[in-house]
Amino acid sequence: MGEEPRRRLHPLSPLLHGAKALVVIVVALSWQTLREVGLGFFALMVLVVVIGAVIMSVVSWYNTGYHVVGHELRVYEGLLWRRTRAIPLERLQSVEVVRPLLAQLTGLAELRLEVVGGGKTEAPLAYLSVADAAALRDRLLAIAGRAPAAAEDAATPLAPPRVPGDGPLLLAVRNRDLVISQLLTPQAMFLPIGVAFVVVQFGFDPSWSFIGVASTLTAIAGVLLQPVRRVLSDWNFRLSHADRAMRLRFGLVETRSQTVPVDRVQGVTATWPLLWRGHGWLRLTLDVAGMAGQENGNNETDRLLPVGTAAEAERVAGTVLPGVTLGGLAFAPPPPRTRWFHPLARPKIGVALTDRVVATQEGLLTRTVMLVPYARIQSVRVVQGPLQRLLGVATVYADTARGRSATLRDRDLAEAWRLADDLARLGRAARQAAPDRGAAVVPAPTTDPDAAPLQPST
Amino acid sequence: MDIAAAGPTSPLEPWPDTVDWQPVSRDLIWVELIRWGMAALSMLLPLGILWAVFGVWPLGLAFVAVLVLMLWRVWTIFRAVRAWGYAERDHDLLVRHGLLVRRLSIVPYARMQFVDVSAGPLERAFNLATVQLHTAAAASDAKVPGLRPAEASRLRDRLTALGEDRAEGL
Repeated sequence: MGEEPRRRLHPLSPLLHGAKALVVIVVALSWQTLREVGLGFFALMVLVVVIGAVIMSVVSWYNTGYHVVGHELRVYEGLLWRRTRAIPLERLQSVEVVRPLLAQLTGLAELRLEVVGGGKTEAPLAYLSVADAAALRDRLLAIAGRAPAAAEDAATPLAPPRVPGDGPLLLAVRNRDLVISQLLTPQAMFLPIGVAFVVVQFGFDPSWSFIGVASTLTAIAGVLLQPVRRVLSDWNFRLSHADRAMRLRFGLVETRSQTVPVDRVQGVTATWPLLWRGHGWLRLTLDVAGMAGQENGNNETDRLLPVGTAAEAERVAGTVLPGVTLGGLAFAPPPPRTRWFHPLARPKIGVALTDRVVATQEGLLTRTVMLVPYARIQSVRVVQGPLQRLLGVATVYADTARGRSATLRDRDLAEAWRLADDLARLGRAARQAAPDRGAAVVPAPTTDPDAAPLQPST
Repeated sequence: MDIAAAGPTSPLEPWPDTVDWQPVSRDLIWVELIRWGMAALSMLLPLGILWAVFGVWPLGLAFVAVLVLMLWRVWTIFRAVRAWGYAERDHDLLVRHGLLVRRLSIVPYARMQFVDVSAGPLERAFNLATVQLHTAAAASDAKVPGLRPAEASRLRDRLTALGEDRAEGL
């Protein structure tokens, strides 16, 4: 095998997994069971199940290992069903160090890798000690960023050896702004109305049962959950930039530290929510290939800037996509005859081509600008529906690996063809000017290359 | 073929002077017709039987409506197959298709992840195959149906060769 011994996860991991299981078990057994069997027996049941879970965790911990072989991270798992995963680091899109509350108390961390093509987070290594996790992360990123050939190293002379640690701080989001920004969401705005509704209902109609009030309050709490969760997860948001990678740190209860190489960014989306206009704030999100929605339904793991002023956003966007200024984009709206499609929003729709990115703008109330670097365009499509044919317009799509496409809506047909041609040409030029780092992605095997694709049935 | 020269000024054909559109095989019309015919039959037959047994007029109306729809669809199949086309340029593959909603895809060879060559039983009966180019973006649709096996193999080999030439990560 490799030159490197296989390593185990941190010995405390089974205990943490067991503690996690405890919550699940208590919920599963429910209060109903507690009332039926009595406290002592209930505690015994929980204890037995938890011990079982810990034993299982110990067994699985004993059989889990990882090591780096060449350009791969190999993860071994399982006692009965052995599973070995080899993760090609050339495909690494981002690395995240996650520290849930319990892990913070014990000084442990979980390492999550995002690989292109992976529907879910690949190889969550839970848990490592913080130092190990950071060291492994830096090592994986160094391997992922290493040029495959010496020739390419010469082409990029300014690639200093990766230094561990965070690098200079680019931006810190003030917690006060974060809270205010989340209060200025429709959900939070709904709160006074909801409370007033409950009070009025209760006042005018005392027969309204307590259960009714309670369930309404529960519903309100459910609505409020999202802004609260945002505040908790984006608390102490720190963004730094080191050695061609963005490093994001955030979280109050569960701290996350995410590292995204700049040349793996598929696109950046800027959003100006209506209610934030008074402060002139906007939000930036990052498109990274293979970034899966997290299991807790909070799929906003791709944030780049939870809230910020125009100047801050400008600085961040300029770092992620060098040479791009959000304010300096001159958007060209679709031709006036398309006002039948967008009676109000037409002037707000637009497209701008700069020398590095294609930018599209949409949204009457919530303005959204999406930036896609030419070098990340996977394919270009021109689509013309029947109504569009009547008006002689067509929509151009620039597809990225993230799955989202920049939509150049309702362009004049001649312009659409020209845009499509431009995008294809600029994409090619950008790819050739700055070849993507990392070795070639080996294409998945197609059908048998020797056999003809089909045989005549005779 | 006359399909390729259908009309260089039509909005379906951009850049007529630089792009040499290849048509797909006309046998695809038969494949599509049989496919459609089977679907139509599975609707018409029960309707017809019900109409014959009960003899109420709404069933007859539905029968006629389905029949008209089917005949209209037959007409569009002819045109839709003629609308399919592909072109190999120096750096990318162009695929266009669709009548009601017209689509053109431009897929750079360098972005190709893998190529699929498939042929269902019906396509095999007419000696046809489908080549599909996959990129990392789920949205890109570069599918060319109705190719002769030799042409499909040639296209596949050419695409893979060009893809390897320009292979890169994301």
